[in-house]
Amino acid sequence: MTDTTAASRTLPGHLPHHPLRAALTGSVASIAFTFIAVIAVGLIWIGPKFVSFGNVSIIGSFLIVPLIVGAFSGFALLAGVVDLSIGSIVGISAAIFAWLITHGWGLWPAAGATLSICLVIGGLNALAIVRFGADPIAATLGMLTALRGITWVLCGNQRMIPAFDIDFFTLINQQLFGLPLFFLLAIVLTLIAAVVVTKTRVGRHVQAVGGDDRAAARAGISVRGVRTAALLLSAVGGGLGGMIYVGQLGSAAGATGLGLEFQVYAALMIGGYSILRGGVGNPVGGALGLLAVAGVANILDLGRISPYYVNIIVGLLLLAAVLLDRLRGGDAYE
Amino acid sequence: MSTDQAIDATPTATPLAVRFQGWGTAITLVAVWALLIAATGLYRPDFFAHQTVLAIAFTMSIVGVLAIGQGIIGISGGFIDLSQPACLILTSLIAVRLSEAGLPLPLVFVGAVLVGMVWGAFNATIVVLAKLNPVIVTLATNFIGLAALYLVFQLAQVPNGSEIYHMGRASFLGLPVIWWPMLVLIIIVGFLMRYTRYGRRITAVGGNRFAAQARGISLKKTRFATFMAAGGFVGFAAVLFASAAGPFNPSSASTMQLNVIAAVILAGISLAGGRGSFWMLLLSVGFLSTIPTSLVFFGLSSDTQSIFQGILLMIAVAIDGYRARRGTP
Repeated sequence: MTDTTAASRTLPGHLPHHPLRAALTGSVASIAFTFIAVIAVGLIWIGPKFVSFGNVSIIGSFLIVPLIVGAFSGFALLAGVVDLSIGSIVGISAAIFAWLITHGWGLWPAAGATLSICLVIGGLNALAIVRFGADPIAATLGMLTALRGITWVLCGNQRMIPAFDIDFFTLINQQLFGLPLFFLLAIVLTLIAAVVVTKTRVGRHVQAVGGDDRAAARAGISVRGVRTAALLLSAVGGGLGGMIYVGQLGSAAGATGLGLEFQVYAALMIGGYSILRGGVGNPVGGALGLLAVAGVANILDLGRISPYYVNIIVGLLLLAAVLLDRLRGGDAYE
Repeated sequence: MSTDQAIDATPTATPLAVRFQGWGTAITLVAVWALLIAATGLYRPDFFAHQTVLAIAFTMSIVGVLAIGQGIIGISGGFIDLSQPACLILTSLIAVRLSEAGLPLPLVFVGAVLVGMVWGAFNATIVVLAKLNPVIVTLATNFIGLAALYLVFQLAQVPNGSEIYHMGRASFLGLPVIWWPMLVLIIIVGFLMRYTRYGRRITAVGGNRFAAQARGISLKKTRFATFMAAGGFVGFAAVLFASAAGPFNPSSASTMQLNVIAAVILAGISLAGGRGSFWMLLLSVGFLSTIPTSLVFFGLSSDTQSIFQGILLMIAVAIDGYRARRGTP
């Protein structure tokens, strides 16, 4: 055995494994470089104001929901079952939560009921995808549409449900060290998710199922169980996101969370996840992707440039990221 | 050419169960559609009016032509073309600008179709050269395309009284003029896909690309051909859209995307590629286009429309997945 390893080491172009090089060429490294580049451009173009507490605070409060939703739905991506319905789950969660509060429910019972409904939604996604083998993209696209319709109906003719609760508002918008408390919590959540993915047995099971479900099944991992759990987690993330929006905005609207799924998944793919094959990606990379995209949007905003350029840049970054992923050894199409 | 035999042979050798399967889709679609019409008609007898037929036919025309493009991408194993909204708006804008310049209607069609094909070739170039999955490529080009279109225009409309304006409002044999090209195109494409060598090669690539490649079919050429054809159909649909839609902005087409994907899946054109009949699109598009009008007659708000569409799409993909897992074609 030692002969073959020695032989493979001497092959031209094949370098021995080294943790430092692996870290520098991995997906997290490339998004980290992108992130640093965005900060550098911001510093040069906008000046020190770009990294001031005031500005980071603004970016941070916009990013709370995408970060939380991204951390949870990242598990579904890892398990190889993309959940496109997260944007609509955020919308319906906000609408149900706001409706319950305005109908005299307490904060905690309302939150509990809202999350239970989100779990049912995640369960329906899992039923279609895991039980019947529906294609995840098409099935959750259906869920996305259906839930958005229900959200519009719930919001009625006013197109919104005002639900201002002063205690909840102050809780969500609390500041700590000059930054939004929940932004810091979202980053802590991301780090916890990263530890779960990379260091625990559960995380490795999720990666194994997403990487090769047949091999995982042969290794004794319950593929259906992992995928169902991942879809339920993803729905819970959407539920939490919707309730936080109600806290931030003091209301739920028919359009709450509209298009969030594309915003989050584009950033996650830039950060190293893939919506088409599981097993790749890291919550830290995903969070850096969201931060980088938000940084670009902020630079264009402060530089008084049309916000439509953000989508052009995001689209190009997305193509660059998937190309990089393929060059790094990802599946080539045909 | 002897290696092509299995692919180019006429499908007479298909087992009975397989042929019955296709009829099953057709019978189910007709039954569900008839049920919907009967239920609405019983609840509101004034549903049976010429106005209803016109409303349904208008929706059918644009969704139907877009569904041909989406179906070609799906059956060839390209899964979904998510860039249809951007391409439709781009080519609609081209149609508006060309008719503003006073060009005759046939040239407007040619211009829009050509630009649509260029868009498709652009997608195919990225897919083939970078070897990236079409879903992500078209997701990105849709993002970029719509954003770029917003930079170019906010609202556009075909000039009043122009040829294209009249086409969108004229009717022929009691149905809108723009409905007829959709019918003709679906019939022709259904015939081409089923009975010509090119159509069966595209289907073969979708069924098993490596087996098809081993038989000498070029995957790259197939990608270029399917994406350019799909873009051309979007360009054609764009002229119909521009003629009938009134003023439109870059996000006007985003709600149509889901209807188109649902129509393709309901028609039994597998997203995994390799099977499906384009003629079924007439039934699935007709059924899906009847839903909004029916809901209005039931007194339900237009918001409920997406609830039904979404649930239908989920059920359709669940059935599609279940069949694929069971191994029945």
